Amino acid sequence: MTKTVLEVKNLWVEYPARRGVVQAVRGVSFDLCQGETLAFIGESGSGKTTLGLALVRLLPKSARVRQGNILFYQNGRVQDVLALSQEDLRQFRWRDCAMVFQGAQNSFNPVLRVESQFYDTARAHGMTGTAHVKQRAIDLLRMVQLDPNRVFRSFPHELSGGMRQRVLIALGLLLQPQVIILDEPTTALDILTQRSIIEVLRKLKKELDFSLIFISHDLSLAAELADRVATVYAGTIVEIGGVYDIFERARHPYTQALTHSVPTVTGDLRDLTSIPGSPPDLIVLPPGCAFHPRCPFATQRCKEQEPPLEPVGEGQFAACWNWREAMNKT
Amino acid sequence: MATQAISTSLAPQKRTSLKVYFWRVANNYVLRRVIKALATIFVVITVTFFIIRLMPSNPVDIFIQEQMALYNSSYQEARDRAAALFAIDLTAPVTQQYLDYMGNLLRGDLGKSYRSQGAGVADIIKQFLPWTLFSVGTALFISFTLGVALGMVMAYRRETPLDYVLSTFASLVSSIPNYLIAIIIIVTFGSQLRILNIAQMRGSISPGVQPGFTLKFIGDVLYHAALPIFVYVLTTIGSWMLAMKSSTVATLEEDYVTVARARGLKDSRIMTSYVGRNAALPLFTQLAISIGFVVGGSVLIETIFVYQGIGQQLLKAINQRDYPVMQGIFLIITVAVVFANLLADLLYGRLDPRIRVGSEETK
Amino acid sequence: MMQAQAFYARQPSFLQSLSQTLKLLARNKVGFAGFLGVLFFVFFALVLPIFVPIDNQTRMDKIYAPASWDHLLGTDFQGRDVFSQLVHGGREVLVIAFVTGAITTFLAVVFGSLSAVLGGWVDSFIMSLADLWLAIPQFPVLAVLASLVKLNNVILLALLLSLLSWPTLTRAIRSQVLSLRQRDYVEAARSLGLSTRHIIFNEIMPNMMSYIAISLIFAMTAAVYAQAGLAFLGLISFSDNNSWGVTIQLAWTKGAIFFRDSFLYIMAPVLAIALFQLSLVSFTRSLEEVFNPRLRTGV
Repeated sequence: MTKTVLEVKNLWVEYPARRGVVQAVRGVSFDLCQGETLAFIGESGSGKTTLGLALVRLLPKSARVRQGNILFYQNGRVQDVLALSQEDLRQFRWRDCAMVFQGAQNSFNPVLRVESQFYDTARAHGMTGTAHVKQRAIDLLRMVQLDPNRVFRSFPHELSGGMRQRVLIALGLLLQPQVIILDEPTTALDILTQRSIIEVLRKLKKELDFSLIFISHDLSLAAELADRVATVYAGTIVEIGGVYDIFERARHPYTQALTHSVPTVTGDLRDLTSIPGSPPDLIVLPPGCAFHPRCPFATQRCKEQEPPLEPVGEGQFAACWNWREAMNKT
Repeated sequence: MATQAISTSLAPQKRTSLKVYFWRVANNYVLRRVIKALATIFVVITVTFFIIRLMPSNPVDIFIQEQMALYNSSYQEARDRAAALFAIDLTAPVTQQYLDYMGNLLRGDLGKSYRSQGAGVADIIKQFLPWTLFSVGTALFISFTLGVALGMVMAYRRETPLDYVLSTFASLVSSIPNYLIAIIIIVTFGSQLRILNIAQMRGSISPGVQPGFTLKFIGDVLYHAALPIFVYVLTTIGSWMLAMKSSTVATLEEDYVTVARARGLKDSRIMTSYVGRNAALPLFTQLAISIGFVVGGSVLIETIFVYQGIGQQLLKAINQRDYPVMQGIFLIITVAVVFANLLADLLYGRLDPRIRVGSEETK
Repeated sequence: MMQAQAFYARQPSFLQSLSQTLKLLARNKVGFAGFLGVLFFVFFALVLPIFVPIDNQTRMDKIYAPASWDHLLGTDFQGRDVFSQLVHGGREVLVIAFVTGAITTFLAVVFGSLSAVLGGWVDSFIMSLADLWLAIPQFPVLAVLASLVKLNNVILLALLLSLLSWPTLTRAIRSQVLSLRQRDYVEAARSLGLSTRHIIFNEIMPNMMSYIAISLIFAMTAAVYAQAGLAFLGLISFSDNNSWGVTIQLAWTKGAIFFRDSFLYIMAPVLAIALFQLSLVSFTRSLEEVFNPRLRTGV
């Protein structure tokens, strides 16, 4: 891989709640290379979305980043997102890192036309010259396979959910950011629309050189788009590796369970298993490895000590004391 | 637009397209709303006409009583004077009176006052309505804009001491009746502390000041309107603040606000075009309704401050049973309320693109 | 016998549920203050008159007297005791407020839920009527109608007041019912084939109690506003009994505002009405907590 564009080091995020402190992100570290797609997969409530929001510091007011660094590398410059001033942060957002959210239905201001929302974004980042912005917006809309003549002057409610999501992706590319975060970009869309959006993303990736962070609970989408995949459980990465390794040679029992809980077209339904138990309570985490209550390989050690990420293969890391047993079992 | 559709369709087209045009006109949202507004005005005039005639006593009796009390004249004397003054036949059946009234109204004739030397009702309204419109309009404008701004401040700074202070203030002033606040101001700052010269502030203008576009005139108008405006603002601002606060809090939760922040928009831009504009939308319909309420309440406020507006005239007319004046003022208030509602409805479509206005846009 | 005992054992006693309710009321400080305020005014206007005699005696030597031990709030333009007037002037205000509030809420609940549940032409009829009604200038019409009210006919005045104020509340109740109709448990009840009546009274109404109670309070404040306003303009009069509005009107028209000693005379009924309104509005905060279990557990 080429140069690194994003490096996250030991990131901890928590929310105070009435019952206690929600540990949403616990010691997450990873890096992202130029042009790479990294997918974060995991069940709902595992802290994926919090992680995504933390990268652009869009966490709710109550959230606290306890520790960690988020470093963006661009043109030989390093920006520590957590140390940016308010104004620098504002400029950093969307220009260096755009984020496409889940629930595209509501991503646009209902009272402004699509064009004004493009112009707004451009103006906020010092891009002047309406003609120039308009040309770029129209090019981008065409790239996401929309009819610019119809869409550009529309109000958001005049577009379908899939169209709005594509408009948002086009808007995300307006300032040519180095990194784009997609948080469940296709949930709430029908299967055909999902497909076309994935196609659009693949095509865009080929044409424009940006890195992608893809957050999803939909493994098949992750498998299609990602170069590398990270499995998130209870706010921490339990396994990370190349997409092929994760789906074919998963070492962590949780990743194995996840990949086996999704039906494949070619696979047999008999191979399908669900994960016993329920996702952990992020306020009162089980001691030791957070997955041990649901893990078929759990031993006494798992109940006492939290396993660190360790290499389990070429560019593949897993946080499990018993990954060898798990590997042999499958 | 609707009339254009008719006129272009009438001449050359065949019958079928005429029908199409007819339906297009009939389905026209604006036209339908206008017709509904006119119907509303008609019904309200009718209802108020009969309510007014239901009132016990009548203008002649009231006049006779006044004459007897004022000049110590005998009943017979007073009666004769009344007969000479009132060239009206109150013995005609009420339905006949109603038909006459409506007929005159269609010709644009609001009738003549039974009192005030038979002055035309239209002239009375022309004389007094501007003052009410000026004071109520200014007050609503100040109260709405200030209330919306403060409501947004409360929402942005919610759960802070500032929010608590403003919330308490808002619920305090919005739960106390406006006329009581007016009385408290007059008694406390007027007669007790003597800070305000209530006697001088009475009326809508000082005697001898010539109307015109002069500093003196404008200053004098503001001087006299200051207290009514202040009371209207004080008693309506609270509900705007609270409504805007809860609306803003809800809007701040919207995805598009988070996205706007992610897009790196400036906070000021997000606050005005993304949060403020969407949060204030539902308040515009309330604004129309409140116009009617405040104009209605002007009866009390104008009486207390002796502000010569339409509300004070209405009270006078009620006490004198001056039917045509009452009827005319009712008409004008109703028209104002209905018109404001109509305007709000039509304007809302402009402000909120999601509301479709006009048939040509519905697919 | 055993069963009956077991049944009663599960039912909390009256005192228990009373203290439970009080605890809930006390959760919201502002609301509890409002509750105490309302209690105070009920005591002041309904119980205190038993102990304080009506003072109708004219004392020419004591006109506009300042506050003293004999006359806690001074005397009026005829030298009558203001405190006594205040004590006796509250009953009318409270009763009219409550009766008006009850009638208005009743009308609104009936029309609003009928409109929402039946839909169709009933809905359009009721809503058009409400729209029309809202276009009538409320207070001015009331000022005219008030002249029909003979002396102290409390019920007639209450009817008139509620006749004018039902539309706003009806619309609100209608939209509440409409939104509740969409909820899952109502859908479930309907799919079980339960009757419309059962759905309205057993599924929808219990979930609207807080809304109805709060609506009642706001209808009461509107009634106080209108009633005292009309009395102040001299458009309604009460023969033998005073009311706060009448006291203010007399103080105002007889020129009490020009006498410095009469500050308390005119301010006392003004503040009584203002504080009563304030108590009612604050009280709604607690009502929300009592009726809304979701708020009770808190987040």
